Amino acid sequence: MDMLLNQYYLQIAVFVMVNAILGVSIYLTLSTGQLSLGNAGFMSIGAYTCAILTVKAGFPVYLAIPIGGIAASLMSIIIGFPALRLTGIYLAIATLGFGEVVRVIVLNLKITNGALGISGIPTLGTKISKMLSSFGLPQKFGGLSVQQTSTLLVLLILVLILVFLVFFCVRLNRSRVGRAFAAIKADESAAEAMGINTTYYKLLAFALGALIAGIAGGLSAHLTFFIGPKDFAYHRTVEILLYAVLGGSDLVFGPIVGALILTLLPELLRSASNYRLMIYGALLVTMMAFRPQGLISEETVRFWKSKLGRGSK
Amino acid sequence: MTLVLDQVSKSFGGLAALSNVSFKVTEGEIVGIIGPNGAGKTTLFNLITGIFPPTAGKITYQGKDLLGLRPYKVTELGLARTFQNIRLFGHLSPLDNVMVGAHCRTKAGVWKGLWRTPAQRKEEKATRERAQTLLKLVGVEEDIDSPASSLPYGQQRRLEIARALATEPEIILLDEPAAGMNENETDDLRLLIKKIQTMGKTVVLIEHDMNLVMNVCDRVMVINFGQMIAEGTPAEIQQNPLVIEAYLGREEG
Ligand SMILES: Nc1ncnc2c1ncn2[C@@H]1O[C@H](COP(=O)(O)OP(=O)(O)OP(=O)(O)O)[C@@H](O)[C@H]1O
Ligand SMILES: [Mg+2]
Repeated sequence: MDMLLNQYYLQIAVFVMVNAILGVSIYLTLSTGQLSLGNAGFMSIGAYTCAILTVKAGFPVYLAIPIGGIAASLMSIIIGFPALRLTGIYLAIATLGFGEVVRVIVLNLKITNGALGISGIPTLGTKISKMLSSFGLPQKFGGLSVQQTSTLLVLLILVLILVFLVFFCVRLNRSRVGRAFAAIKADESAAEAMGINTTYYKLLAFALGALIAGIAGGLSAHLTFFIGPKDFAYHRTVEILLYAVLGGSDLVFGPIVGALILTLLPELLRSASNYRLMIYGALLVTMMAFRPQGLISEETVRFWKSKLGRGSK
Repeated sequence: MTLVLDQVSKSFGGLAALSNVSFKVTEGEIVGIIGPNGAGKTTLFNLITGIFPPTAGKITYQGKDLLGLRPYKVTELGLARTFQNIRLFGHLSPLDNVMVGAHCRTKAGVWKGLWRTPAQRKEEKATRERAQTLLKLVGVEEDIDSPASSLPYGQQRRLEIARALATEPEIILLDEPAAGMNENETDDLRLLIKKIQTMGKTVVLIEHDMNLVMNVCDRVMVINFGQMIAEGTPAEIQQNPLVIEAYLGREEG
């Protein structure tokens, strides 16, 4: 038990969860066919808003995180109005530029502490273990240390958030708004001609994606003691995009699986760390060549449904 | 008069796709628009539905100016269309395609969709049932789980009509619905268009299939090189020397 629940594994599991949440964020923007590369920027806004609120203004974490998400989504609406007139590669470039602008602003503002970043952020883990101690929990509880218990609880919180987000996306898909998203993704001008206000729904998807990226940013700020502008540079955006490229973006499970694989892979490849990027590259080129729709697509689901359906008869 | 075009022109760069076209569509009629390839028929639909603005002229619907309205607004007002080059939402099921059409007549937003409130469930049920009725009307099987793009060509054209009808239009604009259909399918289409008329809707039909046009339309307009060269009943059009020369004659010769 102790072997499995060692701090290192738990930490990785926590990162998998945060990245899976980021996967949901890219899924939502992609669900109207918008290739937005602004997610690291929105994550950064969420993380900094949240960290400043807790460290400098003494806000409780559970309030600061949603506020960070809302700040990111407000920003997405502001930049979305002009940016969503662009499509395809132009939108990608504009949003990538947005991410860089956020990084440079963060680097130069006093309140964000410039290149030094913000440190001494109260982590969720320590918050929870303090709470546990104040409830009079003994140092060892059911064979687990307080640290393990609190990390497990953090993990549980993250799992619950992810489960809720998946629930949200699945419900959305089978609703009027989800159908509008899918129609826009399939053929934007036909969707508009069928009575869908495409600007509104594209902006909605963009803002939902930013909200979730902002929340993921706030969460990640409170999982480590420190955030700096480097954490949200464009490599982060590329990483998030890769979740969707690898896992597929037809279904919400795609980017989640992508996040799982791409977060675990570097840990598994630690011994071959010199070749890590090469292996990444090879993996992606292989995907592009043989399965451009990603690991999980609608056809995959259809295939297994019919297969399992037939099997049970 | 529901739909009125007044001296409408459209040019693309130097090319005058339409020049000074005027016509009126009366409630409940089936109007045919014919003309050789490249005459400007589809451009006319694009102007009416707000895909792009005319270079000059006025388009009104029930007295309301359509100029400057985005396409979805035009659809909300009660004009729906199909496309000459089929533009279904290919990976969605036929039923979902039609349900998308009902978008502008329904309300549930993100919140109601998330929690499936009683109002949302009622709306979804009504939307689904209506979509199924429309699929039945056009003759596409209702419970197909495969994507719309896998349907045979003729079915896809019919599905587009069902999707347009789901927006609850008063005027439906059909752009070459018989293209690629065989004789039997075209005959079914004729009956369908008649049925749409009896549902109280106005139909504007662009079509190359003369047999269909002459059999189904109350009135026919002929466009050639962006200009309206004739207008009248099918019988009159068939007699019109200008039309015979510009269009029918070419086919016969
Ligand atoms: N978006 C556009 N940009 C530039 N030129 C266009 C555009 N749309 C149409 N045209 C041109 O306008 C003219 C009329 O085209 P339109 O599609 O309206 O013809 P049509 O009568 O529908 O022909 P068909 O019977 O082949 O469908 C053509 O010369 C076409 O090339
Ligand atoms: Mg045409």
